[in-house]
Amino acid sequence: MSVNPVLARELRERMRTGRAFVVLGVFLSMLILTVYLVYQGSATTGQIEIDLARQTRLGRDLYEWVLFVMLALVLFFVPGLTAGAVAGERERQTLLPLQVTLLRPRSIFVGKVLAAMSFLVLLLVAALPVTMVAYLLGGIRLFDGLIGIGIVLVVAVLLTVMIAALSTLAKRVQTATLLSYGFTALLVLLGPLLYFSMRVADGSSGSDLENPPAAVLTFNPIAIVADATAGERIDDGGNPLRWARNELVNAKSMAGDTWFSWFPDDDFGAQFRFVDGRRDGFPAWGVGTIALTLLATFMSFLAIRRLRTPAETER
Amino acid sequence: MSDAPVTAPELLEVVDQPTDETAAERTPAVRAERLTKRYGSLLAVNHLDLVVPRGSVFGLIGPNGAGKSTTFAMMATLLRPTSGRITVMGADPAHKPRTVRRRMGYMPDNLGVYDNLRVDEYLEFFAASYGIHRSEWPALVDGLLELVDLSVKRTTMVNSLSRGMKQRLSLARALVHDPELLILDEPASGLDPRARVELRELLKTLNGMGKTIVISSHILAELEEMCTDIAILEAGKLLAAGPPREILERLGGARTVRVRFASGVTESFTVADDHEQTQLLRRLVVDEQRDVVEFVEESGGLEQLFMTITEGIVQ
Repeated sequence: MSVNPVLARELRERMRTGRAFVVLGVFLSMLILTVYLVYQGSATTGQIEIDLARQTRLGRDLYEWVLFVMLALVLFFVPGLTAGAVAGERERQTLLPLQVTLLRPRSIFVGKVLAAMSFLVLLLVAALPVTMVAYLLGGIRLFDGLIGIGIVLVVAVLLTVMIAALSTLAKRVQTATLLSYGFTALLVLLGPLLYFSMRVADGSSGSDLENPPAAVLTFNPIAIVADATAGERIDDGGNPLRWARNELVNAKSMAGDTWFSWFPDDDFGAQFRFVDGRRDGFPAWGVGTIALTLLATFMSFLAIRRLRTPAETER
Repeated sequence: MSDAPVTAPELLEVVDQPTDETAAERTPAVRAERLTKRYGSLLAVNHLDLVVPRGSVFGLIGPNGAGKSTTFAMMATLLRPTSGRITVMGADPAHKPRTVRRRMGYMPDNLGVYDNLRVDEYLEFFAASYGIHRSEWPALVDGLLELVDLSVKRTTMVNSLSRGMKQRLSLARALVHDPELLILDEPASGLDPRARVELRELLKTLNGMGKTIVISSHILAELEEMCTDIAILEAGKLLAAGPPREILERLGGARTVRVRFASGVTESFTVADDHEQTQLLRRLVVDEQRDVVEFVEESGGLEQLFMTITEGIVQ
C-alpha cells in the first residue's frame, strides 16, 4: 500500500520547518500553565492533602480546565495551520502542476486533510500526560481522560476538514486565514447567539414560549466537549465547560419533554455525571457531532469539486 | 472498464484512434479543429486550426493576450474548449484527461516549486504523483538530474536554486513520467542569456530523444533557430503556420542582402526568395568576377515577419 504522495510531502515539509515545534511547544506550555494555575488556586487553602473530597474535586476541575484550554487552543491553531492547505498551493502556483499529474482531486484533498490531522494527533497525544494529572488526583477515571482527549480530537478533526475545504475557495493564504477564523468564530458563537436572542425575544413578547429549541446549542464545539465530559453541577465554579453544560441542561429543561431529553431530571443534584454514570436518551454531543460531520462532509464534497480542473468541472 | 454509455465525443475519439503502429505515427501529436475558447464576452481562442506533427519542435508565437496560454491549457487538460475540437496524442483532453496526462508533460508559465523540499524529494514527489513505483525513483531521479544538469544540486533545497535552475527542475518535473509530448509555456521567461542557451540545448537534446515539443516564447530568434514548425497567433486567431523558412518566404516578402567587397565597398540588394539570393551570389562571383568578402541576409527573420503580420491587437 502506497502512502498518499501529498500527505508524505506535507508531513516532510511541515516537520522540516521550526513552526511545528513552536506550535507544539506553545500548546503544551499553555496546558501545563493551566494545570499549575488551577492547582495553585485550589492549594491556597492548605487543606488539599488531608481533604480527599477536595482533592477529587481539584482533579475534576483540573481535567475540565485542561480540556477547555486544549479545545480553545485547537480552535485557535487549526484555522492557522490548515487555512493554507490548498490556498497555499494556489498562491505559490504549485496547484497546476499537481492537477496535471495522475492524482485525483479527492487524493489531493485527502492528503491535505490527513497531513493536518496527523499534526493534531501529535499535539493531542503529547497532551495526554498533562490531562492525566487529574487521574493521579482521583478526580476522573482513566476512561474519562481518554474520552476527553477523544472528543477534543473528534471536534479538531471535523474542524480541520471544514477549514481545509474552505481553503479551496481562496487564492491567497491571507484570505483563507481570515475566512477560516471567521468561520470558526461563527461556529462557536452562532448557536449561543441564536439561542439567547430567541430566548430574549420570546421573553420580551410576553408569550409563554420561553423555550427556544435547545438543539441550536448542540453544534457548538464547546457544547459538544462540555456535554461529553463536564460534571453535572448547578454551580459551575467559573469553569467554562461546566457552565456550557449547565446551559445545555437549562435549555433542555426549558424546552420541555422533547428529543432533547438526554439528561434525566433526577440527576440534577449529582456532583459528576461520570461518577454517577447514568444517561438516558440521545446525547447532545452526539447530535452536535452528527451535525458537524454532515457539514464537514458537504464542505468536503464542494472542496473536491473545486480541486477539479475547469475542464473536469464543466463536464 | 466503465459501464457508462459512450458519448458522441468518445465515439469520435474511438474513430480517431490509430489502428496500427504506422497509423499511430501518422497521428499528429496535437490536432486542433476550429478550436474556440470564450470567457464571457472575451474570445480568447478563435476557431484555431492547428496540427503539431510528431517529433517536431513547434513554436507558438504571439503577443501577450494572443491566446497561447489558453491554447496550452486546453492541450494540457486544464480547460475545456467552448467549441471546436482538440486531440492530444489522439485523445480528447477534456474527455480523457488521464489518458492525455500519461503521455504529456506540461510546464506552465508560472514557476511554482515547493521551497521546503530538496531537489531529489521534489522529483520523487511528482514520481509518486504519477504512480511510479518507489523502487524506480532513485534511477529516475538520477537520470533526470543528469539530463537537466542538476546532479550536483541533488540534495540542495529547492528555494536556494537560481531561477534558471528552478526552470530546469520544472522541466525535469514535466519529464518524470517520460511523456512523448512536452508543452512548455514561456520556459525561457526571466532567464539570463546563458541559462537560455542551456535551455535551448536541453530542448534540442529532448527533441533528439524523439519527444514532440510545443513551446511558446517571446524570444523569436531562439524559436526560429530551434523550431521545425511555428504558428503565429494574434487575438486568438491563427495568422500563419508551418516551417519558419516557408512562412518567411510566403509572407515575409522581399529581403535585403548586404554584400561587402574586397575593395571595401558595401552594397545592398533586394531579393524575393532563396532562389534569387543564390542567383545574386552566382552573378556577383561567377559572372562579374567581383571579390565578395561578406554576403549577409539583412532581414530580421521571424522577428521582422512577426512585426509585419501582427497588428498589435490586444484583447
